[in-house]
Amino acid sequence: MSDAFRRIRMPMTREEARSLRAGDIVLLDGEIVITAGLPTIQRLVGCAEAGRDPPIALAGGSLLHLGSYSRDTADGGLEILYMNPTTSTRFNALMPRLIRHFGLTAVGGKGGLDAGCVAAMAEVGCVYLSFLGGGAPLHSAAITAVREVAYPDLVAHYRLVRLAVEGLGPVTVGIDAHGNSLFDTLQAQARDRLPGILDALAASRDSG
Amino acid sequence: MPITYEAVKRLSAQLYDWSLRRVPDDTKLGLRRALEAETHAGARQVLKMMLGSAQRAEQDERFVCSDAGVPVYHVTIGTAARLEGDIKAAIADGFDELVATISPPLLKHVTNPLTNERGHKGKDMPLVTWDVAGGADWVEILCQPKALGSGRWAALETFSFPSLAQIEEYVMKVVLQAGSQHCPPVIIGVGIGGSFDVAARIASKATMRQVGSTNPEPVLAAMEERLLRAVNATGFGPMGTGGDTTALAVHVDYASGHGYTPVAVCFNCWINRRTRARLHADGSVERFE
Repeated sequence: MSDAFRRIRMPMTREEARSLRAGDIVLLDGEIVITAGLPTIQRLVGCAEAGRDPPIALAGGSLLHLGSYSRDTADGGLEILYMNPTTSTRFNALMPRLIRHFGLTAVGGKGGLDAGCVAAMAEVGCVYLSFLGGGAPLHSAAITAVREVAYPDLVAHYRLVRLAVEGLGPVTVGIDAHGNSLFDTLQAQARDRLPGILDALAASRDSG
Repeated sequence: MPITYEAVKRLSAQLYDWSLRRVPDDTKLGLRRALEAETHAGARQVLKMMLGSAQRAEQDERFVCSDAGVPVYHVTIGTAARLEGDIKAAIADGFDELVATISPPLLKHVTNPLTNERGHKGKDMPLVTWDVAGGADWVEILCQPKALGSGRWAALETFSFPSLAQIEEYVMKVVLQAGSQHCPPVIIGVGIGGSFDVAARIASKATMRQVGSTNPEPVLAAMEERLLRAVNATGFGPMGTGGDTTALAVHVDYASGHGYTPVAVCFNCWINRRTRARLHADGSVERFE
């Protein structure tokens, strides 16, 4: 089934990010940068504020809310035992700064980001990629190499990690670079539908 | 034969381990049925990927989710069961042993709510609820590790002599609050009445029921059916990226109360981590899921 999806080479170009639309489903190849840690995101904001380079280059790249667990291998490398998304909305307050400062072209995780982030993404040309929660066996299988690990003082899933992946996904473009967020649209749609849904519940109670 | 400390300890560790590597069969069946009925193309892809992830986890004995949660057990002791040793300590010791031996390791998710410090141990951890079964000679243990998608979005509100309309409206309010944050499609538990703690417990227990089972009380069965339709009419869909499948099941139960009526609503994410087994008097272990 994987061949049916558009494949995106990561880090994606700004043009490619702008070419995607909310609801598109894609597969990722290339290199991604990930972390699931709030302390990590705070450190990166610290880098942005102090004008310091982050330990792994982020400019024009991706920063995905994925956590990984790795162990050292005999040859001095790292083996990723599992990788899975975390809830992105936890980072709502900090992401606009990172998106703008590093000119990120892709962020992601699960659950989406808020309006402040959506605005920053539209300004910069950045998309949000929605990963399957509970998809650890599939996401982990797409990793081909661990390129770089930063912040080793943090627990494994909080570390900043640069990975090579092949066929990661499919992932859904949850927020595009044109201000469209599936998460916001669907929340608004659910609110609009609520009066009708309550009417249907009442009709069902009456007929029962 | 008595049911021993050692047997309870071993089973407590095993149930947790099993729950991390396998999506329950009833839940997989629920996902397959949802896939057949789903009309949204993107949602179909997400549902297919869920089934793929469940299959791969089973085949390779891998964790389905990286967040292994915190240990939550529900223990039912038969009044005719003969116990030997400290059964309560056995559950905590079983979890400790799992932490020490499991591969890949469990992350430190046990959080002190006053300091937000995390570890593998903490006050009142594992979280255990105790029940008694009249006449039975077995001990049943159900393990349901809790993480964000199976705990964070639960809510409770207390009403005075509410109508069914008010109760159902509240359920929908909590569903909209949770939106797409709990890794849908979810299993929803609703507890009505009793007292503050009883309503919450009923809701939590309701999530443990088999997906696809019918409530034996016709009034509740009808309520579950119309609430499931209502939740799926919201359109959040699998992983909240749109579709007809926001919940796989709504399970409702109630207790009599005073007239002030707490209504509790809770969720389990799509992987619906849950394992259950019985220790029998003859030393055998009967595994249900």
